[in-house]
Formats: sequence, C-alpha cells, structure tokens
Amino acid sequence: MTAGTTRRAIPLRWPAAVAVSLVCTVGLLAFVWPFVVSAEFATSHGNDAPWFFAVLLALLALVCLAELTSGRLDAKTIAVLGVAAAAGGGMRLLSAGTAGLEPMFFVVIVAGRVLGPGVGFVSGSLAVTTGALLTGGVGPWLPFQMICAGAVGLGAGLLPVAAGARAERWVVAGYALLTGLGYGLLMNLWFWPFLGANAPTGMGFVPGAPVSENLNHYGVFYLATSLGWDLPRGVLNAVLVLVAGPALLRVFRRAARRAAFDAPVAFEQPPLRTALPDDPRVRAPKPPEVVGR
Amino acid sequence: MHLRERLQHPAAWWLWGLGLATAASRTANPVLLLLVIGVCVVVVTERRDPATPNPLVPFLLIGGFIVAFRVVLTAVLGNGINGPTVVFSLPRVPLPDWASGVRLGGPVSLESLLFALYDSLRLAAILTCLGAANALASPRRLLRYLPATLYDVGTAVVVGLTFAPQLLSDARTVRSARTLRGHEGRGIREISRLAVPVLETAFERSLGLAASMESRGYGRAVRSTVRDRRIASALALVGLLGVLGGLYGLLDSSAGGALGLPLLVVGAALAAASLAVGASRDSRSGHRREQWAWTETLTVLTGILSAAVLVVGSVRGWEGIVPTQRAELPAVPLVAVVAMLIAATPAFFTPRPRQVDA
Repeated sequence: MTAGTTRRAIPLRWPAAVAVSLVCTVGLLAFVWPFVVSAEFATSHGNDAPWFFAVLLALLALVCLAELTSGRLDAKTIAVLGVAAAAGGGMRLLSAGTAGLEPMFFVVIVAGRVLGPGVGFVSGSLAVTTGALLTGGVGPWLPFQMICAGAVGLGAGLLPVAAGARAERWVVAGYALLTGLGYGLLMNLWFWPFLGANAPTGMGFVPGAPVSENLNHYGVFYLATSLGWDLPRGVLNAVLVLVAGPALLRVFRRAARRAAFDAPVAFEQPPLRTALPDDPRVRAPKPPEVVGR
Repeated sequence: MHLRERLQHPAAWWLWGLGLATAASRTANPVLLLLVIGVCVVVVTERRDPATPNPLVPFLLIGGFIVAFRVVLTAVLGNGINGPTVVFSLPRVPLPDWASGVRLGGPVSLESLLFALYDSLRLAAILTCLGAANALASPRRLLRYLPATLYDVGTAVVVGLTFAPQLLSDARTVRSARTLRGHEGRGIREISRLAVPVLETAFERSLGLAASMESRGYGRAVRSTVRDRRIASALALVGLLGVLGGLYGLLDSSAGGALGLPLLVVGAALAAASLAVGASRDSRSGHRREQWAWTETLTVLTGILSAAVLVVGSVRGWEGIVPTQRAELPAVPLVAVVAMLIAATPAFFTPRPRQVDA
C-alpha cells in the first residue's frame, strides 16, 4: 500500500452505507419539505414541523453514528476523531466573534479526505456537537447541523480525485466553496417555513402555493439575508484549503500512517525454535532452577 | 427545610427547559412570553451551575438582536400582515422585475410591526428557555447518559472537549513565538502556518493518549456479539426505511396519508430500539452517579404542567393565547399565568448547587 492512498479508519460496510444514505435522504426531506408538501399539511402543521424534524433528526443522527461505528471503535480512531472534533470545536470558539464565518468545515473536509467517508461523517457531526457543547449552544438546530456537517465530511471522502494528485488541491478547494454556500442554503430552510407570514413580503413560505413561487420566494430570501454570510464563509474555506490544504493533508496522512489503521492484526503461532521429534507442540519452558539460598 | 447542596440531575433541568420552550412555542402573547423569559432568568440566577460561564447572557443578547432585527426588517420590507393603522411611511424604492414580489419602503402599519414583535418575542423566549437549560445543567453532563452503543462516540466527544482548550492555548503559544521572531500574526497565510504545528502537537498528544488507552486495555472487553450487531443493523435499516416511507405518506397526502403517521412512529421506534440492543449487557460502573430525588420529579412536573396548559389553551382557543395586533394590552389567560409562576418554583424548592471556592 502506497503512502498516498486513502486510509479508512472506519470501513464503510454495506449496512452502514445504506443507513447513512437513508439518513441523508430523510435529512434532505427535513430541509426541503416546504417545497414538496401538500397544502393542507402545511397549513395545519407548518408551525410544528421544524420541531418535529429536529427530534426526528436527533434520533436518526444517533442511530447513524451507532451504525457507522458499529458499537466499537479502537483507541486510535477515537484519538483521531477527538482531534478532528477538538479542532472543529476550537474553530467554533474562535469564530464566535466573526458572525458565523466558520472555518470549521476546512478541518472536517481534510479529515474526510484523508480518512475516508465514514470518518468524514462522524468527525463532521462530532465537530459540530463539540462546538455546541463548548459554547453552550445546544438547541433544535444542532441535529440539522450534525447531519449537514456529516454529509460535508462524507462527500469530501467520496471526491473522485486521487489522493496526493496535483489536482486534489483545486478540487477540494472548489468543494469547500460549494459546501460553504450549500450549507447556508440548506440550514436556512429549517426555520424558513417557521417565519410564515412574518417573513418580509415576497420572501415568505406560502402554504399551498406552487413550487415555483415558493422557490422564488426562498431565492429572494436567501439573496437578501443569507448570501452575505455564506459567500464569505465559502470563500474563506476555499482559500484556507488552497493555502493550508496540502500541508494539513500531509499532517493528517502522517498521523494516519503512524496510527497504522489498516495494518492487519493476526495472531499466529510463533515459529518453534527447536523442533522436537516426539512432541510438535510448544513445551512450557522449564522453570529456572532454584539455586540454594 | 434544608436540602444538601448538590447539582440537580441534568436531565431534570433539560426536561423542564424543553417543557417551558414548548409552552412558549404555543403562544404569541407578549405578557406570557415576557413571563417565560422572567421565569428563566429567576431560576438561572438562583440555581445556575457555578462551574461554567453563564450561557444565558449570550442567548438573551441573541434574542434581543432577533427582536430588533425583525422589527426593523418589517418596517423596511413589510410582511404578510397589512393593517389599516399606518404609523409612518418610508420612501418606496422601485425594484427590478425578478424581485417584483418584494416591497422596499412604503407605508408601515402598526399591525405588521406588532405581529413581527410578538412573533420574534416568541422565538426569543424559546431561545431563552434553551439558554436556561444550558446554564442550569451543562449539556456535557448529559453525555454520560448516552446508550452503551454510542459509548465510543461519547468518548471521542469527551476527548475533543478536553483537547479543544489545549489546542487554543497551543495556538496562542505558537503565535507568540512567531511574533517574537518578527512575523506579523495576521492574515490567512499566517493561520495556515499556525495550523500545521498546532495540529501536529494535537496528533502527537492524542496518539499518545491512544497508546496509553490501549496499554490499559481500552476496547478489549467486547460485550456485544456478532448476533447483537446484526440485529441492531437490521433494526436500524428497517426502522429508517419505515421513517422514510412514513414521511413520504405524511408529506404527500394523496399517497395514503393515513398510513404515514403510524409507519413513521413504528419506524422511529425500531430505529431507537437498535440503539438499545446489547446496551443492557454492558455493565460499566459509574463514578459519582447522579441521584434522582423528589425535587427532580417535581421540577420536571412543573415544566410539563406549563407545556400542557398552553397546549390545551391553544387547542381550545382561549382568549389571549394568540393576541390581536391592536394597540392595547392583550387579554391574559389567568390559568396560563399561574402555570408559568408554578414553573418558576424550582428556583426555590430545589437544592442549591455547591458554591465553588474562589
């Protein structure tokens, strides 16, 4: 195995892969339901739906994490995940004053890139959780963020570019820009229907209106309120990847090599030092003779 | 009556906070919402966990910011409410065709302003309830109640929580070292220079930790069997499929809306059961287990009571739960006020947290 290959600290077996894709689908539904929902559901449940989805997604995120880690991680994986979570949480602490310009994704993307999609998902959601626990900001938005950040890390692990290739830096930077924008685009959606009639004219969720009208309203809402924050965030993450990405990828790859995640562990019988003709099994070594005291 | 000084069970405070948040989410009455905020402030000042910085203050600030922002935005951009009482008029700005639905400037009515104020006040009240729960019981104390199937993930979070402050102090050290060498500590290039030594140190430390964990036998005692894991996977997958199908049924009522909710509930229950499979076999001992006494039960009950009263009120349509947007004090349902005041009593009957020696 060459040094450049992706090391998968958490192998993505098929049940876990299916579970992650199902959870991501439900997560996507939890964001885009205002556009697909029928009119009577929207008018009767529009106010409860964000809370309902927050509870549902919290449960599903936990199930997904349990399924991915399959109940058991080794100490080295925990250590690496701990560093990713700490870096993400630390970035959260630092960026508290910069109005949500979170450079956290940068670390998540690098971790997912080096250690595979499984670790990408877990480290993304753990980074968000750690940040929330550190800043005391646990709320209904946390499950949505966990799924979103997890998906960002997962996607970084699945990017179709050879590790260590010259193009990797640019592909990852483009990915960081896109996810920076897309994260904001999705995260607004969890509370947008909640605004209801209180959103500015022409920017609110109208239950029962055709999809095109709601999409138009949301587009205007996004341009007016969110793009100003999302664009700098995406650009910042992309620039960070361009400038520091290669060095950080090297740091992560070195750590992954030192931790030797894919070193096969096998227990073999040690070769016998002296083959005994009558007894092929190992004999218990003789206890050293006690010399008279 | 004197109770021994201790921290209450974190789950009790979180259930209380969630109950109060549910109550706040059901009403738009400004008097009730201000009462909720007041209750949170009183309980937090009396019974806050003294070991952590108070997170209620930033939550209150964010809430205040939301209220101000929404009122200003409504004045400039208007909202879905058009009332007859025009307070003042702003100059109207013509907009391009694609944004034809948006109104910039124009007459500002009292009704739309009041609606924005009440609605954002509700959001601020919900945020305050969550901030209060964060302040009364630090959410990291809830980590130990994760089911055993998530024990490893919880450990990773604890490692992260421990390392994050060290990471920051490392960054500070590296930065001051660079400043001493005459580098300006600013800009993105500087951040990337910082990132490498800081992360290298973090990995060094964490792999050292991993080595010491392994040498002490961490993760060697595997109690879950292959059968357990297969059952858990099967439950999780079937449950997730059920959730997805149920959601589809709920959202698209033409495709059997009646089937949606039961399917969703069963799916969620199965998925939750997958977390519990094999968890009972794990017999970890706990250090300093938290106790659940009558004060905890009573705290939870007061939270549930306030939620229940407001839910019943909003379903029955009591006068004043959804106030009219007129320039008058809205009617205040007395029962709801009493329920809110009862929700404030945990400030007095619960045990005091132990004071940290300064």
